[in-house]
Amino acid sequence: MKLVFFDDYRLGVLNKDETRVIDMTLTLEEIPRVGPGDYMCRLIEKWDGYKLRLERNMLDMPGTPIEDVQLRAPIPKPGKILCMAANYLENGTLKEARPINGFLKNPSAVIGNGETIQIPPDDADIFHHEAELGLVIGKKAKNISEDEAYSYVFGYTNFIDVSARGLGPKGSDVFLQSKSYHTFAPMGPYLVTADEVPNPQDTNVKLWVNGSLNQDYSTSDMGHSIPKTLAWLSSITTLNPGDVVALGTNHQGLGSLQDGDVVERETPGLGRLTVNVSEPRKRKWARGVDEAMADRMRG
Amino acid sequence: MKLVMYNNYQLGLYQDDQVYNLSESLTEINAPTPQDMINAVIADFEGTYRARIKEIAGKVQPIPMDQVHLRPPLPRPGKIVAMAANYFENGALSEPKPLNGFLKSPESVIGEGETVVLPAAHQAAVFHHEAELGVVIGKTAANVSEKDAYDHIFGYVNFNDVSARGLHPTSFLWMKSHDTFGPMGPYLVTADEIADAQNLQVRLWVNGEIRQDYNTSDMGHKIPKMIEWLTSILQLDPGDLIASGTNHQGLGPIQNGDVMEMEIAGLGKITVNVSDELNREWHRGLDSDMADWVAGRSAEPPAWAKR
Repeated sequence: MKLVFFDDYRLGVLNKDETRVIDMTLTLEEIPRVGPGDYMCRLIEKWDGYKLRLERNMLDMPGTPIEDVQLRAPIPKPGKILCMAANYLENGTLKEARPINGFLKNPSAVIGNGETIQIPPDDADIFHHEAELGLVIGKKAKNISEDEAYSYVFGYTNFIDVSARGLGPKGSDVFLQSKSYHTFAPMGPYLVTADEVPNPQDTNVKLWVNGSLNQDYSTSDMGHSIPKTLAWLSSITTLNPGDVVALGTNHQGLGSLQDGDVVERETPGLGRLTVNVSEPRKRKWARGVDEAMADRMRG
Repeated sequence: MKLVMYNNYQLGLYQDDQVYNLSESLTEINAPTPQDMINAVIADFEGTYRARIKEIAGKVQPIPMDQVHLRPPLPRPGKIVAMAANYFENGALSEPKPLNGFLKSPESVIGEGETVVLPAAHQAAVFHHEAELGVVIGKTAANVSEKDAYDHIFGYVNFNDVSARGLHPTSFLWMKSHDTFGPMGPYLVTADEIADAQNLQVRLWVNGEIRQDYNTSDMGHKIPKMIEWLTSILQLDPGDLIASGTNHQGLGPIQNGDVMEMEIAGLGKITVNVSDELNREWHRGLDSDMADWVAGRSAEPPAWAKR
């Protein structure tokens, strides 16, 4: 199933051929929630009680053509966004995975389809896109084993871990400055349940800037697999329904983001996410793939 | 005003060693979780809830404090943003270290009487307490200037930024975000009760022995500066917590069976326990190698930082 937020954060489901949005607001009326921020997380928590009703309504209700609605980020404010750092073999150039590492990203940084990444005025060396497979947690997870990890996954979504380079004290963990700026977490256009993603460990991640394909890699190149990642993260902090795990990027293909850019991100079955870039200082960086960065990350 | 969470996460007013139940009266608040309840009160405190709470306290029968089970006042903040290396180390540094900070998992929070669990799965070189002044955000804050910073503060709370050292690669997630690594409480004190947040004594004891004993006047980047900087990066919301950093002169190991008490002047005292199923042992008392290194008295980092 493909879950969407649309217009003034109404919750809906896409029909089978993804042409229409079916409004599920009435079906989900009694879900306790404060607002859009926690709505999807609460639905995920109570998924077993709603799944059948949503599937039935999908067949019974006509819906609205998708082009007539404004799609929103599917999880506008996750409880946590956990990101994996340097978690790819860089097209197989590394013999083994780098030591496992990650960071928390600001959960208020999420934007959705059609929204705009606001590049801050700070003097970073460059601002990069990082196309990533985003995984959404389905059940409370603490100290889970690799064997059972997939049973804690609710679904997947396209994610871009927008990054600022060169800010903060050298030699320190500066993930806050490099990753957590407002609007630095584009996500969507929808949230796809795990049953529709047959092999998340062997799917394709693509990202274009102004129509030019920068990133195009397979998740089979991932350093620490999805089960290993979830086991490690849950050995540190409890994962909750609706938490987002960004699985890391392959750095062969990162490129700059600058004012006026249009960024598109696609993985088979997850739809295409399109966001804009605004950079009031109109700084210029090289176009295309940042080869120096790609070189540094290769084995 | 001092706000508490207690028993099954009822919101209460703490006054004269008694607790007044607020949740049962504040039925107009839509709060699926305890944090949603206190967020709503914080977000409209001056407009509505300061007066409402006074009115409720005039009507309900209070419960003696020793008959309630206290919970952390912010059970699961939307964000915990913590400052790194943000003290002059008792004036040892001539200028503050470069601004730096990190996000700490909101799941890490525990309250009065609860237990810091040292994770068996992670072979840290040592686990430390870090007593810190917790600053609670009252209004949505983005790109706030230093001069407007205090207007965005709701109040203050004791916070202990428990830390695992020497896990490699070094990252704040791995160091700071373990479940139970965020003791907080016993109550949340509104800003009007704290005359000068930049002049508060912070104390932490382990098994009755004083470890940390410093004043927030030694802070490197002061509260307005840190709010300006943090909100230039991310938006802070009502009920978010800023841990303003610790003075490292006084850090020491914590281990199985330890009792940690922490007290900031005016914010009460929080007591938590420590458990470690592996019974790992470290020396007792202060970690002077860390203190000397952070203060610049020694160029030699602690053994765990050398790898």
